[in-house]
Amino acid sequence: MKKVLLMVLIVLATMVNAQVKPGERLVFVGSYNMSGLMTQIAQVTMQTNMVSTSKKAYLHLSWEAATYSKWDNFFKIRDYFESYVDPATFKPALFKRNTLEGKYTKTEKYIFNGASVTGTSKTKNRAVVPVNFKVSGAAQDIISMIYKLRTQDLAGMKPGQIKAFSVVFDQKEYPVWVKMIAVETITAGSLGKRPCYKMSIASKTDKLKGADKNLIWFTADALKVPVMVRFSIPVGTGQIVLSSASGI
Amino acid sequence: MRKVIYISSIVFAILGIAFTVLPMGTIALLPIGITIALASTALYLSQDKKRLMPKIIILVASLSFLVVIGKDIFIKDEVKVDQQFEQKKVESQKEDMKDLEGL
Repeated sequence: MKKVLLMVLIVLATMVNAQVKPGERLVFVGSYNMSGLMTQIAQVTMQTNMVSTSKKAYLHLSWEAATYSKWDNFFKIRDYFESYVDPATFKPALFKRNTLEGKYTKTEKYIFNGASVTGTSKTKNRAVVPVNFKVSGAAQDIISMIYKLRTQDLAGMKPGQIKAFSVVFDQKEYPVWVKMIAVETITAGSLGKRPCYKMSIASKTDKLKGADKNLIWFTADALKVPVMVRFSIPVGTGQIVLSSASGI
Repeated sequence: MRKVIYISSIVFAILGIAFTVLPMGTIALLPIGITIALASTALYLSQDKKRLMPKIIILVASLSFLVVIGKDIFIKDEVKVDQQFEQKKVESQKEDMKDLEGL
């Protein structure tokens, strides 16, 4: 029985896209702009692993942000976003969000079922609210979108060319556009200096500020590892830089 | 002129102390450096009788400088394992498996 299970897992692992493997762990240093100076405040971890039910195998994608202990007494952040996706198509089946930012808390669970999303939502101390809304068939959650982007042909994109996604966030479906800006060489944390795809993320939402102010760099190779993110949101600006990578 | 520089040095000294207490890292060296420069100027412009306060400000700023450097060397950036948070993650994954099984 164990051998059969092992074989199944090996087969499943080979089904996963070459760019994103189970067991991948990327650790980033998150900095926030304070009075014009980038201050390191948190660690961001992106991980992948395979899970399987009696019917199907899923790739579990998780994103965790945690403030360094010295900041916990001033403004504690423990954010955990996770998505269970089809390993071949990156179509999400289940998305969960667990946010703790200072005194603000929010938990959400979205179950993707074709053209509808059901689940629950809870903000601060309010009661749990059932969630049920319609989405397009192409709808992704924010985590699976980032991973799906890594499976796309970025090398074939010209500067200014756009890839469109549809992302569900805060019980709404938003169009998201990812624009290729250029290929530039940057220091990619533990990976050293690498040529990277510089891409801009935009959406019809007030959660992202400015034109080409929300940027993401992927290594310009087959793995397309995200190495740096610069963000501009209503509460300020900051950046996330890769510090270590394993299992890639 | 001396009074303006002297008051500015006090303002920056307060800012420097606040930044030292907060986990702002080496950013705190900025107000501390300005404090030392302003207090030294105030000291240079002061008559003998009025030189005590600028000296105290320089001393406080220097101590803050040492604290910031010490914190930077000895206190590393690390995430404290939050047992409650980790427990929540484990419970959440069990719940996820039930949800996925039902799909």
